[in-house]
Amino acid sequence: MPAIQLDGVAKQFDGVTAVDDLSLTVPEGEVFGFLGPNGAGKSTTINMLLDFVRPTAGTVSVLGMDAQARSVAVRERAGVLPEGFSVYNRLTGRQHIEFAIESKGVDADPDAVLERVGLDGDGDRKAGGYSKGMGQRLALGMALVGDPDLLILDEPSSGLDPAGAKEMREIVREEADRGATVFFSSHVLGQVEAVCDTVGILREGRLVAKDSVEELREAVGGDATLAITVDSATEEQLDAVRSLLGVDSAATEGGTVTVQCDPGAKTEVIGALEDAGVTVHDFETRETSLEDLFLAYTEDDAATEVEA
Amino acid sequence: MSWEAVARKDFQDAVRSRWLWVLSALSIAVFAGAAIGQLYLGGGQQTPQQSQGLLQGFLFFLKQGTAILIPLTAIVVAYASITRERESGTMKLLLSLPHSRDDVVIGKVLGRSAVVALPVLVGFFVAFLALIPQASGVNFLVYIEFALLTALLGVVFVGISVGVSAGAKSNQQAIVGAGGLFGAFWFLWNFFVSGVSRAVTDVFSVSAATQYQLELTLKLLNPIQSYKTLVDSLFMSDLQARVQMFSMLFGVIPNPQAGEALGPELSPLFSDPMVLLFLLVWLVVPVGVGIIWFREADL
Repeated sequence: MPAIQLDGVAKQFDGVTAVDDLSLTVPEGEVFGFLGPNGAGKSTTINMLLDFVRPTAGTVSVLGMDAQARSVAVRERAGVLPEGFSVYNRLTGRQHIEFAIESKGVDADPDAVLERVGLDGDGDRKAGGYSKGMGQRLALGMALVGDPDLLILDEPSSGLDPAGAKEMREIVREEADRGATVFFSSHVLGQVEAVCDTVGILREGRLVAKDSVEELREAVGGDATLAITVDSATEEQLDAVRSLLGVDSAATEGGTVTVQCDPGAKTEVIGALEDAGVTVHDFETRETSLEDLFLAYTEDDAATEVEA
Repeated sequence: MSWEAVARKDFQDAVRSRWLWVLSALSIAVFAGAAIGQLYLGGGQQTPQQSQGLLQGFLFFLKQGTAILIPLTAIVVAYASITRERESGTMKLLLSLPHSRDDVVIGKVLGRSAVVALPVLVGFFVAFLALIPQASGVNFLVYIEFALLTALLGVVFVGISVGVSAGAKSNQQAIVGAGGLFGAFWFLWNFFVSGVSRAVTDVFSVSAATQYQLELTLKLLNPIQSYKTLVDSLFMSDLQARVQMFSMLFGVIPNPQAGEALGPELSPLFSDPMVLLFLLVWLVVPVGVGIIWFREADL
């Protein structure tokens, strides 16, 4: 039984499509990184898993249960760190954890939870005085209460400093080792790459890639990234490059053109640019990383918007 | 049960706001102050009959105040109970835990009811202590019933406000909705009653008795008027209390026609238990409608 299964899911808000025909399966025990630029539909998807919003089409099932009809049962077994939440300003950190313990009907030590998320010593303070990062830690602590089978974390690293983000990753790893499925979203690949078994990339409400991190690495492994310094280049001029054999993608920003291609296609790319009337000053080659792949999707996105 | 956890958390949260304490202080001041003023200004020793008269006068006068203050207080305490959590994002934290949306609404009604009812009961209790030494002959049961009815009025308006809040999309919508209902109950209801009554009398030729019964039914659909007539019933007969609803100037100018039309025996349809039922409808229906709206909402 998969931990999460989406079939042909779509969601429209007042005629605007947030998620479009999304099908996705996350097997039990997997750490799944849900990537995409802001506004790609990640939070809408997560909100449908939690029954915060209802799909306009398709079915959503979580832990083998219908996400809408059996939402309470789903949330009994899932720990959730939602996006865009806020804490109860007048309640202390410990009262938040105690409320989670009471709500889930489990037996747990609030202080141990606070310590695990790095809030030991802050438990008696009102959460209204917490920083964004501390609020994020508190909500993570509430999510961890009761050792859930599934952790759903929406942008868990937002508001955390690098050390905090690292602690977050360690907790994710510990939970995965315990056997929990972890589904978390991010718009920064670096936070996902290190802990995920699989990543899915969402763009404009559609899943544009889904693979294991290793396979994605292999897929881009043979490619090179060519960073070319130019005076300026238009999208039309880049089309000449895009039509070349061995070129995966090309993007431009300011005075730099970035091209993903076979290492052997380098000379042709430079030639094609010059033929199209672009003044090339300099270029350098580096091996493509997952970050480049992700950025290619996001920047592609930006280019489409400009054209439109 | 899940709504218990929500109610307890909600109350815990509310206790830490200054509101609860301001309300408690206010109701103690109003109720105890009124009690002391009423009894001690009378001065000297009183016979039990005089004491009883004083209590009636006290409650009759207090009722006019509570009928405005208690609903307003309940609206202020509860109108944003759901919308504020949606606007701030605490609702996402709440619903990340295994609570159903129904439990959230019910928990809110209970939590905020406690916030409104407790200060009222505390205020009455303090006033009660002030009454003891002077009013040996006072029928304390009447007094306790009045306190409970007043607390119930608060709970009814909490239910209305939470129901509106569950259906509203923003704090602004919620305050307009709850405030609008309050305004309608206070300022528009009697126009509505006489309008409907006139229309019906124009179309069908009905007897005066039927006309008054229709008007009474419509009046009782107003929770504030139900509350007032139930309080009047504490020291009058059912019939007198219902007839009182047709008098002018806060009950100073009576309406003998109403007495003739509704008497000599009041229909059981308008007895106290039925009026209480009318009042409870205002607790159940708005909360029920709110629950259904909230089930459908995208957060």
